[in-house]
Amino acid sequence: MATQVGKQPGGAYANWQRTVVSRYADRSFVARNRSGVELQPVYTGLDRRGEEAEMPGQYPYTRGIYPIHYQFQPWMDLQIIGYGLPSQTRERMDLLLKEGGSKGYFDREAYNFIFDMPTSMGCDPDHPGVRGSIGDCGISVCKASDYEILLAGKDLTRTTVSMVLNAGSPPMLALYLAAAKRRGFAFDKLGGNVTNYIWDFFGHSGGTNFSPRGSYRLVADIAAYCAEHVPMWNTLTISEHNICEAGANNVQAVAYAIAAIIAVNEECVSLGIDPDRVVPRFGFHVRYGENFFEEIAKTRALRRVYAKVNKERFGCRKSGALQARIHAQTAGSLLTAQQPLNNLVRNAYGALAAVLSGVNGMTINAYDEALGLPTEDAVTLSLRTSQMIAEETGAVHVSDPLGGSYYVEELTDEIERRVFEIIEEIDERGGLIACIESGWIKQQVSASAYRWRQEIESGARTMVGVNKYVSDEVTEYQVFQPDPEAARLAIADLERHRAERDQAKCEAALEALKKASCDVREGRKIGSVMANLVAAADANATLGEMQAVLHEIFGRNK
Amino acid sequence: MQDRKPRPRVLLTKSFIDSHDRAIETIALALRDAAMEVVLIDYEQPEDVVNVALQEDVDVIGVSFMSGGQVEATQKIVAELERRDVGDLPLVVGGIIRPFDEPPLIEAGVKSIFRGGAPLSEVVSTFENLSQSYRGIP
Repeated sequence: MATQVGKQPGGAYANWQRTVVSRYADRSFVARNRSGVELQPVYTGLDRRGEEAEMPGQYPYTRGIYPIHYQFQPWMDLQIIGYGLPSQTRERMDLLLKEGGSKGYFDREAYNFIFDMPTSMGCDPDHPGVRGSIGDCGISVCKASDYEILLAGKDLTRTTVSMVLNAGSPPMLALYLAAAKRRGFAFDKLGGNVTNYIWDFFGHSGGTNFSPRGSYRLVADIAAYCAEHVPMWNTLTISEHNICEAGANNVQAVAYAIAAIIAVNEECVSLGIDPDRVVPRFGFHVRYGENFFEEIAKTRALRRVYAKVNKERFGCRKSGALQARIHAQTAGSLLTAQQPLNNLVRNAYGALAAVLSGVNGMTINAYDEALGLPTEDAVTLSLRTSQMIAEETGAVHVSDPLGGSYYVEELTDEIERRVFEIIEEIDERGGLIACIESGWIKQQVSASAYRWRQEIESGARTMVGVNKYVSDEVTEYQVFQPDPEAARLAIADLERHRAERDQAKCEAALEALKKASCDVREGRKIGSVMANLVAAADANATLGEMQAVLHEIFGRNK
Repeated sequence: MQDRKPRPRVLLTKSFIDSHDRAIETIALALRDAAMEVVLIDYEQPEDVVNVALQEDVDVIGVSFMSGGQVEATQKIVAELERRDVGDLPLVVGGIIRPFDEPPLIEAGVKSIFRGGAPLSEVVSTFENLSQSYRGIP
């Protein structure tokens, strides 16, 4: 066969082909469309400089992190689940599983738990002032035994558990690990992630958190502990999504997300942790919102910038430390209370943009989330949306299908350029932590959110059903109502738990946690906070009790 | 005369456990753009809101709820307003307010409920009107 343009011997395409053969032997990833045309798993040619284009799975991973992606392994559907008590959430989990959801990689089950706001912030249900929020908008979890109910009968070595929460992340991971330990599962067989949004309180996360410096120290502690003891655990999710949802535009959000990675890596390096040991377990949570092509270009730019920063700035060599794994979520802030069924369509476009970007996991919001917690029907429709994209549209046959588009390639380069400009500005301002402490980042995000809102007000930006094509017709929609009894039951359960546990043992474990926290704060024995959190959780300390120790030693943001 | 009117003073607040602050930050900027004085805080106890409202001498309180606590927190704030003898200080709520939240909120006496997508101009004029009537300005 004659050599084609963009496919020189020893070039990107030839290298890609060699990798595919070595990884998948003679397995074919060629699909056929309805007209009978054979579809290659990826198409290529010359790039905009006239050189052979980068291929998927090749540094700097603009076109994706795998040489073969959905053709081999579809994205993980991670619908967000959680409300009321662990027993109530378990009912919703069983429903999703029955409907073909909760699919992890390689036939594992996967669950994406969201916690109520008290839990998310590390407060027990009896914390003063939080009662009205218990079990509302998430599960109430505060002790290791709660996981024994939530995951009863599940083989945790075959279950991927994702935990979405803010400041409560460190003790929450400890509760899960303690529960797994009690059931006899080896830590090195456990897979999942904790979002660990403790670094993220300048954007989406208002509210109480750790001090900025305390946050980054704890992120490093958890990463170091897991690298040694729970090596398959993903210890940090950098949420570009949350920054966007707080109002930042795509360029700002990617830049701040990368700046967060830089701050974490700098913290690790300053503590003597080799980034190659911990970075492969960091990942991204990316928002897919209003601008279809920009979402795709930003994903490509994010992968490229991440690879370059980790390689060039931090000297990472492991491929896992250069590949941005991405969990996609459609944009909650675009969901409207007006004409809520319109949100089904918005979510589908967002999800399609994510798929065309080559993401690894997916949360498609429910159309009724601007009204309240999603109903079962709405959750099922989100799952169906993902299933239609995966199994009906054919969007999965070809990787990076927009690669080579003049528009998308130009936009990718432009986003990259602007992201590096912002990173440079943050460096000049003394780094991300300084920018958080000065309030600069928060101010940038709020100003951007306000501009967006003003565009809606003036009509410069259309939101169908909100400022255009408005309907006076009021339709009553079913809204999910969490169990108002959940608070009483959760508090009663917690009281029983405290009464029945070995109090002296629990207090000793919390004392040891405090000592370890002091060490880690001073830069010694990194990883020992997490080890002592697990021991405390196993000694029946509660989420809030552990959090109180961490807040005392690592400081609060307010 | 228009320019003699005192600037409305507003307290905007949400719970310390609610991380969703885009809406309240946006409302704060809109009210400031409309020349109001805005105090923006997270509360730990709903009752604390009243302390701040009195210290700052505000004439409207706006509470944001994006993830739970709508009814319980509002009722506690109202009870504390009454206990401190300022039951007529107007209270406005916004955010995710579900149909089943509405009757108890209205019964508690909230003056207005804003959900996502409500025009900022409407929010601004509501705060202005509530402030003026609280101050006894016709």
